[in-house]
Amino acid sequence: MSFGASFLGGANSRLLPVSIPLRFFLLGLVFQAAGWAVLLTNAADLAGFNGGLGPVLAAVHLLTLGVLTMTAMGASYQFLPIVTRQALMRFWPARLSFWLVAAGVIILAYAMARLWPFGLDLGAGLVAAGLLIFVILTGDNLRRASGVPVVAAHGWLALVALSAVVIAGFLLISDFRSGGLGDHQAVAIFHMVLAIFGFMGLFAVGFSYILVPMFALAHVDISRAAWAQFLLSVFAIIGFLLGVQTHRGPLMIASASAGFIAAAIYIWAMWTSLRAGMRKRLGVSFLLIRVSWGFLLVGVFLGGAMVANVPVPNTPALFGFVVLVGWLLTFLMGVLQRIMPFLASMHITDKTGKPPLLSSLTPKRPLLVHAAFHFLAVGLVSVGIVVNSAILIRFGAASGLVAVAAFAVFSGHILVQLRKR
Amino acid sequence: MNFSSRTAQLLHEDHQATIQVVEALEQVIARAKRLAPDVQDSAVHRALDLAANAIEHEIKTHFTFEETELFTRLEEAGDVGIGQHLRSEHEAILPLGLRVAALAKSALAEGFSDANWPEFKSTSAELIERMYSHIQKEEMALLPMLDDLLDAETDMELAESYSNTL
Repeated sequence: MSFGASFLGGANSRLLPVSIPLRFFLLGLVFQAAGWAVLLTNAADLAGFNGGLGPVLAAVHLLTLGVLTMTAMGASYQFLPIVTRQALMRFWPARLSFWLVAAGVIILAYAMARLWPFGLDLGAGLVAAGLLIFVILTGDNLRRASGVPVVAAHGWLALVALSAVVIAGFLLISDFRSGGLGDHQAVAIFHMVLAIFGFMGLFAVGFSYILVPMFALAHVDISRAAWAQFLLSVFAIIGFLLGVQTHRGPLMIASASAGFIAAAIYIWAMWTSLRAGMRKRLGVSFLLIRVSWGFLLVGVFLGGAMVANVPVPNTPALFGFVVLVGWLLTFLMGVLQRIMPFLASMHITDKTGKPPLLSSLTPKRPLLVHAAFHFLAVGLVSVGIVVNSAILIRFGAASGLVAVAAFAVFSGHILVQLRKR
Repeated sequence: MNFSSRTAQLLHEDHQATIQVVEALEQVIARAKRLAPDVQDSAVHRALDLAANAIEHEIKTHFTFEETELFTRLEEAGDVGIGQHLRSEHEAILPLGLRVAALAKSALAEGFSDANWPEFKSTSAELIERMYSHIQKEEMALLPMLDDLLDAETDMELAESYSNTL
């Protein structure tokens, strides 16, 4: 073990054992493969999907809970203590939350695909227990943070949104089993919008304000833009949800417009950081990250188009796919390929006892293959949804699987280096 | 964003200057690939000039200041790990920086040969990568910590003494 093991740690233990964040990232990869596989075998159901139990809903939850939430948890456990300069309360609850969410996602996804009522309750219960631990640990860390108010604000709102998403999820499951929910569709939209933009979106955006300047070595004041984006996002999310519950179209359209402006401000702030950054060559990871920002704008635009009744074919499925895969998954994969070698490098030394070169932990070819097939997957499935072609969606899902396999080669290389040294 | 500590700000400005050198070297390597570049080319000449004259000063002065004035204070405050880790990186970077500076001086005088170009290229490539990673860690972790670590008086004293060494 190198000195790196205690970097940013030492007495304060701000650097976690590498096995904690890595287990979240690696299982997220397995769930991603499972999600693409479910889509591959149920391609015909995707284009017309508009909610309801079945394989597509299972694939959606493999992606949202299995990949996006899992990875957000691992990244949050590792990076929030560094950013806030406050050590994580304990390590074991983080490990416990992993096992609870992992088991819960498997059971929940299976139950959704096979219409298994008890599995829905059990899976959701396990996931909720794991997420409760995550909320407590992350909330405790944010409570002690003082130096990053805008990031903390995003974190707090994301945690509140996550809690509401879980409650809405239980209501929906209860309605699937025994009915009684007045407006299932409105609660489903509440659950989806809050999960995508409230929890995962705000988490991704909040972390961007730390990670993007860090990768680009940028020191430019974007806090005003970040606060403006945050306030507009709050208005957009709350306004949209109110509009859905009260069936007020103009409020939904105004909220979607506010969301679009918030997204544009966020992207402007990110570009400003990149322009001011000392590091200009940021590699394939930032190609993914930049493209993901484009999908964010397209996704919010599609959301607005949907409520304005603009005739885009299969808009619900297209909107969901663009924001979940085009924006959030693409962004996450770009970030992961930067932070996994960085974390590994903190825990090992090379043969001469020096800290390893990041390039020795970052094989380029698998990442290029991953990027090419990931973009192909996003493109094919999006077009497949619009033209209602199961074949295109199937080819897209197969491309997604190849992308995951390439990323697994990259991850495997890091694991081998960690074991060797 | 500027750091509120003057000392952190000076170290940040050092990082910016070092990145300029590193980027210039990176461009020379990227453009030349396998063939040794012509040292009379203005961009190559500028990069070599920066490497020959700036690296040694930037690295030695900067590293010594951090190790003697900052890591010791962090250790006294109970944060041992960061100083240990950054010292180990300094130990890896310093010989690379000195070798690149020596090779750049030799190239400015006599041009690159088939023998010294591959060494310059590989040593510079390792220096570039280690330097980016090191600066990233200092910008992310060390410099923000100085805002908490140094009171206004100590900050002023350290900034003044460091300015005098530049």
